[in-house]
Amino acid sequence: MKNNLVIRFLVRLTAFSVILIAADRLVGFALKKIYFNQRVGQFSQTTYAVDSTRQDIMIFGSSRAVRHYSPAIISNASGLSCYDSGRDGLMIPYSTAIEEVSLARHIPKLIILDITPRELGIDKSKYEKLAILLPYCDEHPQFIKYIKEVSEFEAEKLFSKTYPYNSTAFILANNSLFSKSVEKDDNGYLPLHGVMTKVEMDDYSKRMTKRSKRTHQKTEIAETKAVNYFRQFLNNAAKNKIKTMVVISPTILNNSFYLDNQIVERDLIVKITSEYPNVTFLDFSTDPRFNHHPEKFDDVFHLNKKGSEEFSAIIAQHIKANL
Amino acid sequence: MLFNSIDFIFFYVVVTILYFVVPHKFKWIILLAASCYFYMAFVPIYILILGFTIVIDYLAGIYIENEQPPRRRKMLLAASLIANIGILVVFKYFNFLNLNVNILCDKFNYHDPIPYLKILLPIGLSFHTFQAMSYTIEVYRGNQKAERHFGMYSLYVMFYPQLVAGPIERPQNVLPQLHMKHDFSYDLMQSGLKMMLWGFFKKLVIADRLSIFVNSVYNNPDMHNGTTIAIASFFFAIQIYCDFSGYTDIAIGCARTMGFDLMRNFNRPYFASNIQDFWRRWHISLSTWFRDYVYIPLGGSKVSGRRRYLNLFIIFLLSGIWHGANYTYIIWGILHGLYSVIYILIKPYLRKTPGNRIAAALMRMGNIALTVSLVTFAWIFFRAATVHDAFTLIRNLRSFGAAPFIGDGMSNFAQSVLAILLLFILEYKLEYYPEKFNFFSSPNIVVRWGALTFTILWIVIFGVFNGGQFIYFQF
Repeated sequence: MKNNLVIRFLVRLTAFSVILIAADRLVGFALKKIYFNQRVGQFSQTTYAVDSTRQDIMIFGSSRAVRHYSPAIISNASGLSCYDSGRDGLMIPYSTAIEEVSLARHIPKLIILDITPRELGIDKSKYEKLAILLPYCDEHPQFIKYIKEVSEFEAEKLFSKTYPYNSTAFILANNSLFSKSVEKDDNGYLPLHGVMTKVEMDDYSKRMTKRSKRTHQKTEIAETKAVNYFRQFLNNAAKNKIKTMVVISPTILNNSFYLDNQIVERDLIVKITSEYPNVTFLDFSTDPRFNHHPEKFDDVFHLNKKGSEEFSAIIAQHIKANL
Repeated sequence: MLFNSIDFIFFYVVVTILYFVVPHKFKWIILLAASCYFYMAFVPIYILILGFTIVIDYLAGIYIENEQPPRRRKMLLAASLIANIGILVVFKYFNFLNLNVNILCDKFNYHDPIPYLKILLPIGLSFHTFQAMSYTIEVYRGNQKAERHFGMYSLYVMFYPQLVAGPIERPQNVLPQLHMKHDFSYDLMQSGLKMMLWGFFKKLVIADRLSIFVNSVYNNPDMHNGTTIAIASFFFAIQIYCDFSGYTDIAIGCARTMGFDLMRNFNRPYFASNIQDFWRRWHISLSTWFRDYVYIPLGGSKVSGRRRYLNLFIIFLLSGIWHGANYTYIIWGILHGLYSVIYILIKPYLRKTPGNRIAAALMRMGNIALTVSLVTFAWIFFRAATVHDAFTLIRNLRSFGAAPFIGDGMSNFAQSVLAILLLFILEYKLEYYPEKFNFFSSPNIVVRWGALTFTILWIVIFGVFNGGQFIYFQF
């Protein structure tokens, strides 16, 4: 009797598992189709950066890369094609992953890495967000080592064909159903259109000053793993003899990294970049053309269209001087 | 080992199979060994603390039962309680108390006279200490026979599903079950697995999703406006409920698959229409613990008005302290104490439920909204890292109405809202229509399996798999 119950349970569990796996494959297949058919939005930009870029200048980085560099302005000034493969919320491990895969396919003439010192600090979210690479692991097994940063069993979880599209459903639905209302990128560039007010800037300045008093009491520590990713990024470029510019793009407050307790990380960026003869380091975080100019910012972290166009023109001059 | 980890899935499958395969007389060994492994997966050395508590209370139970003179019995109970509370004080409260002493000494230019302990808080310490204490108290009261089997007693304290975050069980419920023979039961197995699935849903789809927004706001309290803080605080109210009740559902479900019946810990607390009702529905195993072992011995509600209010206040203050060594938890407890005292004071003057159905429903909705608002306000202190942060958040609440910060993209915010809506619909159904739409237990296999498949895929698509720690593990 007892054995019959166990057998009955096991038979049903097996049958249910078969149905579950079939459903997972079916849903996964549908999501894959939708995902790789995206024509607008950041998923399509990532797909393009991973599979199709052939431009002379490649830009990498976080949302500050996406929002601060206009490939059109850079191309016009330099006469070279340009693509911005930055991604909102992603940091140096992501940039390194995309760089590795895209360099295996095409060697650009110049690479720009937009970086903020906090990318080298302790923040585990920059690894969790590498889950964004899951949909590409089938075609690009080089990504497996990066997604293992998300969790120990991440590669095993790929047994599920739905899992790679975890947390993407809303964006996929929005980009598919309302594709016309989704802003189209200009070679990866997505400018912001807001304008900060002086009141907002002063309020931010006040809060940052208050915050700095607290954070300065803590010890600043750079994270070895993140530093290694930064080195790996530069090594990949150096190995392929690609001229590289590491840029800290403008901030609204003068040296806001000092206020945000990121001095150790910033100094480390200066030190590491100086070890590579192919790398030029540019720091705009104290540039008076941008500091305390709220009209050039959309929010406390990002330039708006006006600011980014002005900044792109400046960067284009540096590119010309570099090449 | 976290319930929401792949390691746990393997662990659970192996332990459950072994449990049903071995003969009855060896089952306790399997469970005890598994519980030790489960606990040692966090910080192995802390098993010694647990071992110390177990030995003390095991011996105390036997001695209390054997002793006749009431004074000696009382002394033995006191010794056992002091040992348990002593461990709590050393490992959980020492540095907090020391900090306060040092601040005081600083005023007299006497710096750091007592060094701080460099120790990590043993996981789930308050839970298993309270469970151990309930055993000696019940033996002392004569409600429970002292357990002579050391292995069984150890298992009572260490039973892995409820070891680190409850429910805080009573010996009368668990010890007899540990001795009982549990054969494989198809019904219990499937009902337990479904309960675990629902627990995973709450944790991964709701709690961990909401935590993304909550953390981004509460980790930067001075950077956000009132609307954002109000939204984050409401999200936290839901997050902590789904996190803790999700854990409990997994614990109860896991135990049920092996034939054990653990006590209920939550009963849809956000449908409570007043603060007393809330505490009858929230963390039931802790509130009944305080009721049975502190409130009633203090005289309960059979004492004069003022004394009763004081008793109530003490209970909530202790509950705050139980949660952690931080003034934020103490203020949280004080607030709930105040809420409860004020409620009892005004209760006689409150309007009775109207006869008209619509008016009664509206009144109930208003009461629920008020209760949720009060509870959510208190959660600000519970969640904030420091009292200073909590007051910064409350001060910034004044700018309520400004455009909210959406956080890490609209998608996450939209998924959070969807998760709350789903929870509301499911809890509403359970509260008001418990017999209807029970898809998980539908007699139609297509509906039943369809619902299960849909739920699992929903977890895979909308869940957050970043291995988020359960909030109550820290207590």
